[in-house]
Amino acid sequence: MTFPVRGRVAKELDQQAASRMIWDEEGRLRGVRAIDDVSFSLRRGNRMAIIGENGSGKTTLLQVLAGIMAPETGRLAIRGRITNLININLGTQPEATGHQNITFRGLAAGYKHAEIEEKRQEIAEFSELGEFLDMPIETYSAGMRMRLVFSIATAFTPEILILDEWLSAGDLSFKEKATRRMNEFVEKAGILILASHSRKLILDNCETALWMEQGRVRAMGPVLEIVDAYEDAQKQKKSPPPPALRLAVSH
Amino acid sequence: MTEVQYISIGGRSDYLVGLKDLVRGLSKVNLWWAFAVDEVQQRYRRSKLGLAWIVVSYVIFVAAISIFFGGFSVKGVSDFTAHVAVNYAFFAFLIATVTDGCAVFRSNKTWVGSMPLPHSIYVLKSVARALFVLGINMAVGIFVLLATGHLRTSVSWLAVPAFFVVLFNSLLIQTYLGYLTARFRDVEHLMVSLTRVLFFMTPILWVRAEQPVGSLRRTLADLNPFTHAMEIFSAPMLGHMPDPSSWQVMGILTGVNILLMMGASYLAHRRLPYWL
Repeated sequence: MTFPVRGRVAKELDQQAASRMIWDEEGRLRGVRAIDDVSFSLRRGNRMAIIGENGSGKTTLLQVLAGIMAPETGRLAIRGRITNLININLGTQPEATGHQNITFRGLAAGYKHAEIEEKRQEIAEFSELGEFLDMPIETYSAGMRMRLVFSIATAFTPEILILDEWLSAGDLSFKEKATRRMNEFVEKAGILILASHSRKLILDNCETALWMEQGRVRAMGPVLEIVDAYEDAQKQKKSPPPPALRLAVSH
Repeated sequence: MTEVQYISIGGRSDYLVGLKDLVRGLSKVNLWWAFAVDEVQQRYRRSKLGLAWIVVSYVIFVAAISIFFGGFSVKGVSDFTAHVAVNYAFFAFLIATVTDGCAVFRSNKTWVGSMPLPHSIYVLKSVARALFVLGINMAVGIFVLLATGHLRTSVSWLAVPAFFVVLFNSLLIQTYLGYLTARFRDVEHLMVSLTRVLFFMTPILWVRAEQPVGSLRRTLADLNPFTHAMEIFSAPMLGHMPDPSSWQVMGILTGVNILLMMGASYLAHRRLPYWL
């Protein structure tokens, strides 16, 4: 499976780095270069982490990879069925029950009703949501919602799984369970792309890492090397701590 | 190895992107149908009468209009009731095309932003939902027609092709209004203001044929595309032959709508996720 991307995505949102703003001749802001000059390819069984500061283009890159946003220039080719879990709050009907959302997401991923019914039991068990599946998901906590969406996404055995930060919303036992499931999935020769700030999650799940900085690739390579380099850079950059806030309590 | 499922090349969309999207969306009938059913149920969930509210509210409306405005027309009250019962049900569908069309992508932004589904899924869902309400209201309308003896099978079947022409236009209009509103939010407010006026400009509470040619009302009605959509459908339902000029107008409008839909899709298809 090849995965070359050369994206140049202008996003009409403000982000910190002024060098990424695109202005027209009259001095009006026309866009923000969210990602620029990113190229890589992944094959079966590859597990890649994407790291970088907030606003460095991680999520936009994932959205391009998932086919949600089209790059303005460059080329993206994907072989295989993709499932993306980029934003936990997206792609659900909040007023519908957990069970109905299993149906919606299954249908949206292109499965037939019969195939969804086959997986329903497995999803219910893996998510450990039990009776809650009959309640509207707007009543769920972030962790519960994450369990449901993760369970659905992985039950339908995707070939390419794209995950963003929010996996950290789960509790410790679910995180371990999710890690086991992702490993199983990668052993079945899938591709995993995971954006995260959690060192443990990255080291447990990935073999390579892509470090994004200001929308460009800062470094790419073996996961431990890149994560260490990234964390060193973060420590050095740290500005002196802000003046301590004092909370005065008087009797 | 699986074949290439998804390729995206930077640059421009192709000119047929709107039609291709529509075809891909139509094939996912399971999905948009499930969405439409859920939305209709959602609106009436936890209410005792449930879907029967659509019938109740429509019967109340038709009865009230017939009593208050029956005197506006030289027709008898039974004729006027049939006229209102059919026309308003159909008008409500036309209005839904415009107002729902503006919201069609905006209200589904969480899905647009999370899955690479054909955009026509949302349009088909929206039209299916409006169709459901039309079906229920029109059942009331047909009941009134039967009770007042207006339905004449020799003419009334002409409403069927008219219905499909309007349905097809509804898909086209919702698509381009949806894109337009995603880019320019003012469109939605403009459309709300216009539809309010259209209620009076479209011959629902009054009968076009009763207005003298050249009068203000008649002229406005003739310029109003809703009048012609209604004429080709409602006239046969009420047992009259539709005005052939209305069919001509609808033919031209369909061509224009196809071009507008293709143009809007060409310009907006790849940008929609950024705009929402």
